[in-house]
Amino acid sequence: MWVYIQNLLVYTFVLGSIYLLVSLGFSIICGVLRIFHLGYAYIFPVTIYVTWMFLQDLGWSLIPAIFGMVAVQFIIAFLIYKGVIKKYLDKELEMLVALLLITVIIEQAINYQYPMQTGVYLQTELIKGTTQIGSVIVSTQLLIGSIIALLLTGLFVLFFLKTRTGLAIRAISQSIYGSQIVGINVESLYIFTMMFVLVPVMIGTLIIAPVWTVDPQMGQLYMFTAILVAVLGGLGNLKGTIMASFLIGAVHAVMCFIVGEPRFMTLSALVLVMIVLIVRPQGLTRSESLW
Amino acid sequence: MVDIELKRDRVVIRLKDKKWEWMIEPRYWRNSILWVALLLVFPAVAYFISPGLINTMISANLLAAIALPMQLMTLGTGRVNFGPNFFVGVGGYAAALLSIAYGWGPLATLPFAILITLFAALVFSPLVVVARGLYYVLLSLLLPFVFFEVTIIYTDIFKGDTGLFGIKPLLDLGNARINFLVIAYISIVIMVLFLLVINKVVKSRYGLIMAAINDDEEVAHGIGVNINKVKILSFVFSAGMIGVAGWFYAHYFSSFAGQTYLTFTFMLKIFLAMMIGGRTQVFGCVVGGYFVAFLEMILIRTMGPMQAVVFPVILIILLFALPEGLFGIYRKRRYREYFPTIHVRR
Repeated sequence: MWVYIQNLLVYTFVLGSIYLLVSLGFSIICGVLRIFHLGYAYIFPVTIYVTWMFLQDLGWSLIPAIFGMVAVQFIIAFLIYKGVIKKYLDKELEMLVALLLITVIIEQAINYQYPMQTGVYLQTELIKGTTQIGSVIVSTQLLIGSIIALLLTGLFVLFFLKTRTGLAIRAISQSIYGSQIVGINVESLYIFTMMFVLVPVMIGTLIIAPVWTVDPQMGQLYMFTAILVAVLGGLGNLKGTIMASFLIGAVHAVMCFIVGEPRFMTLSALVLVMIVLIVRPQGLTRSESLW
Repeated sequence: MVDIELKRDRVVIRLKDKKWEWMIEPRYWRNSILWVALLLVFPAVAYFISPGLINTMISANLLAAIALPMQLMTLGTGRVNFGPNFFVGVGGYAAALLSIAYGWGPLATLPFAILITLFAALVFSPLVVVARGLYYVLLSLLLPFVFFEVTIIYTDIFKGDTGLFGIKPLLDLGNARINFLVIAYISIVIMVLFLLVINKVVKSRYGLIMAAINDDEEVAHGIGVNINKVKILSFVFSAGMIGVAGWFYAHYFSSFAGQTYLTFTFMLKIFLAMMIGGRTQVFGCVVGGYFVAFLEMILIRTMGPMQAVVFPVILIILLFALPEGLFGIYRKRRYREYFPTIHVRR
């Protein structure tokens, strides 16, 4: 029994932290821009495959390749904002379909260049091997990733609470018109947010790349998790996102280690979200502001 | 006596006290019978020129047959359902499983496929009452994925990874080409039937009530419309129609896989058929369905594996370039449009 509880606790922490890293960006976009960024899925394969392209095809070393990838991600985010989000801010249907199409285009382009059977392996392993906590053995990479996730989330929260830019972004999340009246440059902060939220996703993807499966369609599953977390947490509230990530992590851990049916992981999280939505349609926390 | 008179822009035909007018310029040809006749001629011509085109035409008809009820669902519920392919999956799996388990043919599975889809829609119909805006988008988006997960988990029943095989074919006349030809006509009949029914509903008093719900639910409720009844009925009725398309897919290909119908790619095709055709036009769905299916076929034939990238690129360009869709080019007058917006932003 104690072994089960240990497994549950450790994996709730590890999975919850990783899910937090994956969904933090999605939640912030939901909170600030008040849209569902259905193009979010493209960020994950671009992180992996563009880094791989710089490494393998252009012969760069790992660190410059990662910086190159970050630059490419920023350019794509900027273009998506200017070309789609700004254009269709009042026409959500067109925007959601266009964002989905962009994901499909990027995924298919990656699949064309690097088909699924092409072996892609990024040497982004911080520490090799496994760690034993009590009677639980867990990948050290994932453990370090979880700690980084918590630190990064803390930094994000501090940024939003303690800096003037963070205050302005929170103001936008509460009222666009109100923030325009007090002189906040909404558009430049939108662009900043679009780029800023890429950071946790890119870090998260690079951390999990050596441990979990990588393929051009990998983003869909992560976006799926991010949507679940964002909705469960209350569309764009950071407190809710943190709670929801660990709650979904706990459900997944229960399915794996208590029920012993990893097949039901995604389904169980979905059922949980649906039940919560029926009981509390606004999610765990009110989505009135970012914090 | 029939009296035919040629005027500057039209031909006027008079028979006793009755009068018919025919606009000479093709862009004013509003007569649906003419377009249906064109559709009926197409498979017969393709049969002799390029039989492969019949296959594309069937795909186009089916896309239109899903986009049309999807349009009605969107109009009647005042919400945009992002998972219409869920009902394709339910109808298709119902037909496939019944056909494989009991050896039933398409005629025997059809009523059950419709009933099971209607039941599934009824179970999920409270969504149109409790969820709105982005929450509805999300929940409807998740439905096909949940179903796909279920097909993977219970792979011994649904064969989620490989797909179900051995479903009784839609027709077996002994000649593959004639089979295709007759199936093409069946698909046209289904699509045209949907078109007629939906057009009739939209133009009826019921359509006006739907438009009122679309404009403002609270106001519609205030003026005495039973909004929940209308929303649930539109949702369930349209879902049943989409289920028929699923039944058709299952028997047409004699196989059915969630991997094909319950994914983003298929959902996107339905949306594009609806939006590129003309998102607020019932007839636009047919134009969109044909455009998407034929564009995909042309790209596959000319570009090979590169088409997977070029196809969505062309579609996104058209999405930007044609805000009113292809049907918007054809029509000359902008009508009052009823289409729900996903209100989220404050």
